[in-house]
Amino acid sequence: MIGKGFYQTLASPWLWGVLAVAACLPLVLNSYHLHLLTLALVYVALASAWNIVGGMAGQISLAHSLFIGTGAMLSTALLLKFGINMWAGLVIAAAISGALGAMIAWIDFRFQLGHLSFVLITLAFAEMGAIIVEGWEFLGGASGLLLPRDTGDLLAFQFGGGHGAFWVMLGLAAIIVLVNVAILNAPLGYYLRTIRDNEKAAQAIGVNVLRHKITAMTISAVLTSIVGTCYVRYLTFADPYLLATPTITIEIVLFATVGGLGRPFGPALGALLLVPLGEVLRGQLGGAVPGLHYFIYGVVVIVVILATPRGLLPLAERAWRGLRRRGPEPRPASVS
Amino acid sequence: MSISRRSFGIGATGLMLGTVAAPWVRNASAEPAPIKIGVINSMSGGLSAYAQEGKPAFDYIIDQINKNGGIKSKDGAKIQLLQADDASQPARTATEARRLITEEKVPLLTGTILSAQMLALTPVLDELKVPTLSIWAGGAKSTYMYSLGYPYDRGYAQSMHDFIVSLRDNDKFAIKTAVMCYSNYEAGQQVNKFLVEKLKASGIEVIGEAPLDTKAQDQTSAMIRIRSLKPDVVTGLVTPRDGILMHQARYNLNYQGSLFVGGTGGYSDLSLWKDLGPEIGKAVLTRNLFGMTGFSAGAKMDSMQKIIAELRDVAKLDRIGQGAVQYAQGARVLQQVLENAKSLEPDALLEAFKSFKIPFGDPHLYIAKPKGLQFADDRLLTDGSAMMIQWMPDQSQEVVFPKEFAQAAPRPKS
Repeated sequence: MIGKGFYQTLASPWLWGVLAVAACLPLVLNSYHLHLLTLALVYVALASAWNIVGGMAGQISLAHSLFIGTGAMLSTALLLKFGINMWAGLVIAAAISGALGAMIAWIDFRFQLGHLSFVLITLAFAEMGAIIVEGWEFLGGASGLLLPRDTGDLLAFQFGGGHGAFWVMLGLAAIIVLVNVAILNAPLGYYLRTIRDNEKAAQAIGVNVLRHKITAMTISAVLTSIVGTCYVRYLTFADPYLLATPTITIEIVLFATVGGLGRPFGPALGALLLVPLGEVLRGQLGGAVPGLHYFIYGVVVIVVILATPRGLLPLAERAWRGLRRRGPEPRPASVS
Repeated sequence: MSISRRSFGIGATGLMLGTVAAPWVRNASAEPAPIKIGVINSMSGGLSAYAQEGKPAFDYIIDQINKNGGIKSKDGAKIQLLQADDASQPARTATEARRLITEEKVPLLTGTILSAQMLALTPVLDELKVPTLSIWAGGAKSTYMYSLGYPYDRGYAQSMHDFIVSLRDNDKFAIKTAVMCYSNYEAGQQVNKFLVEKLKASGIEVIGEAPLDTKAQDQTSAMIRIRSLKPDVVTGLVTPRDGILMHQARYNLNYQGSLFVGGTGGYSDLSLWKDLGPEIGKAVLTRNLFGMTGFSAGAKMDSMQKIIAELRDVAKLDRIGQGAVQYAQGARVLQQVLENAKSLEPDALLEAFKSFKIPFGDPHLYIAKPKGLQFADDRLLTDGSAMMIQWMPDQSQEVVFPKEFAQAAPRPKS
């Protein structure tokens, strides 16, 4: 049963207004700016999918590159080596990712891993995944795989280049953020937060920890895999070092943390701010002083985390409330 | 209406100055617009060694072209370089290309662009149709991409294979078996695939593989495997970092049972001596080892010697290795392409790439290509060959293959 908070969000004119404006952006932006936004949306989707496990359940998983890699490399390999349609590849990869996610969650519960052990175990899974991808020619090995050109054939999982990819990523990012809102307003969300705050206490009051951990990880893994498949279709080149190594997970964790962990819109805010910032800094400064963009980016992240440890979203919410208080006095509520 | 003496004076002076200045004003306005070239280098990140060494040489040659009248066929238009850093990440290469093409309106791109970056760049070039010259890619998938890099097949693999066969047939080295020892990354795997085929076809038995883990901190296990197999020759493409670890392991195990024939950085980079130290360097680099390279200071080639002297004495560059010379060559290729192109439109530039040629003996041929420089139908160099060197105890190199550039015969196995 999903709480009314979800339906309120779904009925919010703000949500549909922002989506409608965003959907029109490809008509006015040039190819580069559209690419930056598409990239930001990819990370909105990835960070929001990770938030279900990392933010709501408090399990800092570094295994998500395994799911991105499965979604990207496996679906590409199935198409190129066996001619399997990428829509089918998406489903197969998502199913495998879901199973892998469930297995990791089971291992976590079965062996009662602490937070640090869970992080290390998931990192080990991610590294194993990277080694398998880089060493197995079927998945492209270290060279990666090049997809056929995107001609816009929707049945062949082609979206017509930049504009189509933007709309797909916008839709996917919106759906995953809404899944976050739905979980947060459903019993699963309450269970996950209880597990996050005190797992033993949650167990003591009858919360089925194993079931909810597996559910959260499976949902997160499936969504991450789907984003991986869509991302690789946009890139056209399945690069194992980008899509199957833990570096991408660390970026996702960073965006979610800066935006606001555990909140449905927090990771989205983090990604929407930091992805374009990183790209623009490199574009403007990278050619002049190599590495300077990394330095500035790092300083910005440190300052944000120190200034607002719970993320930018709570800060933005406080600012918004402050602005509204300065506005016209609201009419007193009627008392019946 | 009356004209005052003051107004008349100002007007007359203005008229005179205007008449005198007119030719300059006209010349200034007739100055052709600069030709923008987007340069995407890996200036930071794991692959930055290539561009850190090559960029100063590239910038120097472009500066020389501009000082010597720019691109003559374009009314002396100067070349303007717009630099970008892809941080050694292929996806960022694609992003920077998109930015340079759409924001800066460059008609031509160049830069480090290794093979993975070339693949990531392919859809962008196909979409935005901008001709590009890669300095190092081992392939060119987009019809808008040309590369000066060694092709995996007829470049790296063929050069190493030809030398091994030459050692066996001409220099009477006993070579019947081989172990493939290569850096386990994209280029290493690709070259290995072609090299195995070629060695087998030439009657050399491949008895095992010892791939080098690019993340490893030690390559002793790979060297122990090689020692246990004891092949006549160990061969493959090895990066400088893996090469250092491999040579250290070989020194520690005191293994001299096989010939080591490989490329490129892990066998022939000048930095090997610095990282290994003179004692290890002398023990392993000067014995039973031959390295593949596109550049060697001792090669018998006048134009190569001249550019080395110019980069060292005039440009005052402190690092002049293969990277610097490859980039300098890239600048000359772009100069000729721009000179030959009828316009800066993509089709005209592509035509200029197709008809481009720097023959052997030309002063602008800096890299060792006995057949000169020109592009084949696959947009890679028709002559993909490289040289083989042996190290001397004083840390210099002697070219031993091919015979056109050779200074000495290969040192016998010891």
